[in-house]
Amino acid sequence: MKTANEPIIQIRNVYKYFKNDIQALRGVSLDIFPGEVVMIIGPSGSGKSTLLRSINRLEKIDDGDIIVDGLSVTHHEDINALRLEVGMVFQQFNLFPHLSVLENVVLAQRIVRKRSAEEAETKALALLDKVGIYEKASAYPLQLSGGQQQRVAIARALAMDPKIMLFDEPTSALDPEMIQEVLEVMVQMAKEGMTMVVVSHEMGFARSAADRCVLMDSGRIVEEAPRDELFTNPKEERTKQFLSKIL
Amino acid sequence: MSNKTKNDASELIAGKIAKLPQAGELSAIDAWWGLVAVVFLGIILLVSLYPDPYARILSFVQDGVIVTILVTISTFLLTMVLGLICGLGRVSKNKFVYGLTSVYVEVIRGIPLLVQLLVWYFAFPAIVVRIGAALNFRPFQQYLANPIMMAIIGISICYAAYMAEIVRAGIESLPVGQMEAARSLGMTKAQAMRTVILPQAYRTIMPTIGNEFISLLKDSSLVSVVAVADLTRRGREFMSTTFMPIETWLMIALLYLLMTLISARIAKIVENKTKLEK
Repeated sequence: MKTANEPIIQIRNVYKYFKNDIQALRGVSLDIFPGEVVMIIGPSGSGKSTLLRSINRLEKIDDGDIIVDGLSVTHHEDINALRLEVGMVFQQFNLFPHLSVLENVVLAQRIVRKRSAEEAETKALALLDKVGIYEKASAYPLQLSGGQQQRVAIARALAMDPKIMLFDEPTSALDPEMIQEVLEVMVQMAKEGMTMVVVSHEMGFARSAADRCVLMDSGRIVEEAPRDELFTNPKEERTKQFLSKIL
Repeated sequence: MSNKTKNDASELIAGKIAKLPQAGELSAIDAWWGLVAVVFLGIILLVSLYPDPYARILSFVQDGVIVTILVTISTFLLTMVLGLICGLGRVSKNKFVYGLTSVYVEVIRGIPLLVQLLVWYFAFPAIVVRIGAALNFRPFQQYLANPIMMAIIGISICYAAYMAEIVRAGIESLPVGQMEAARSLGMTKAQAMRTVILPQAYRTIMPTIGNEFISLLKDSSLVSVVAVADLTRRGREFMSTTFMPIETWLMIALLYLLMTLISARIAKIVENKTKLEK
């Protein structure tokens, strides 16, 4: 659909080994285009989180290359510039508990983007309004529910004006009734044309927002399919087997 | 119990809990201040009921109290700075920095503080004089150690080794996700340390820092052996001229107790003020 010609993320034959010689990634290649929403699914230990975390170099890759908007994760000098273009949302939210919600969203804008206090706060409040946490701006993270914390985390990442957003199991640590409020924010972002890479098993999100689904197993990509086709009409035996367990 | 009564009961309990004073409010006037008052009153009573010898002791050692406070506070400030630097060294990925700070911590923690003070006061100046003689460098040859200076340096270097380990533990107690979140927002490692990791680490170790301050206050009495006229040394001087060991050391002990109790209360207030909001 909204894909341009040039991929914004190029994952080229990536290998990653952990200390005990376990191969986390074994020759993964994937192109992601601007505005595309890609979902990565797979059993635990399949390397999906490792792949996602490699895109902004929270994990170092051992071979191959990942190029994000012309910047390579293997070039050390590029890394802070690269991370500015890539927002990340974690399973455990990772808000800064010593700072208020507003300060969480303001901090990196001030010291990394060098924005004025006024500009950063205006931007933060607008984003908090967007994710529906405006009234809680002066609260502290530990006073919020998981769903609220995750929405703040999304606002915090968006405040840096990233071109790409990565989601590492954003709803896995949430109580069921809070998953929806987070997914709604994510679907909204997808509609606005944000490039998103999402590690998650949320069928609802796949149906309403994903452009492409990727199944990983044992450090490899097993199957790729547009929209929720992977869920509804899998081709590979491994995919069927995995889906029969999670659905 | 039916669900309804259960709910009523829990609401009742919740109401009661809500009325209890918050930890922060309580800290300013908690029961421990009573003990401070008792010790303070005890000193006042002794001095007013038996001016001889207690008022004499008090006026004799008062400059010692000031020296003890001065040594303790300046040592504490130096310890905080040095402890932070070495603590960061202990979590550094740079092997040289890590190795250097590790050796420092292990060596210093393996030598008694009293011995370290004697080294700084007696051995260090002797070394400087020898070097001066060998190089024929006059200022070194005539070097005389300033007792207070040497005492402050000696205790700081010792306490900073312990403080480094406390800082390291504080940093390592935080979830790795904190550093990852900061870095993924584009912060450098130094920025993340300064704005995300250290503010949280120091909140975690605040109770331990308070304890260290009190230990420091008490260990400052060791400087009396290296010619610093602190509270303990002034007490010894008074005793040797008056031969009143019981009265002298009762007064000195009460003065130390008053100072440590007040320090503990202040540490508690700081701890509560810096607690994470929940």
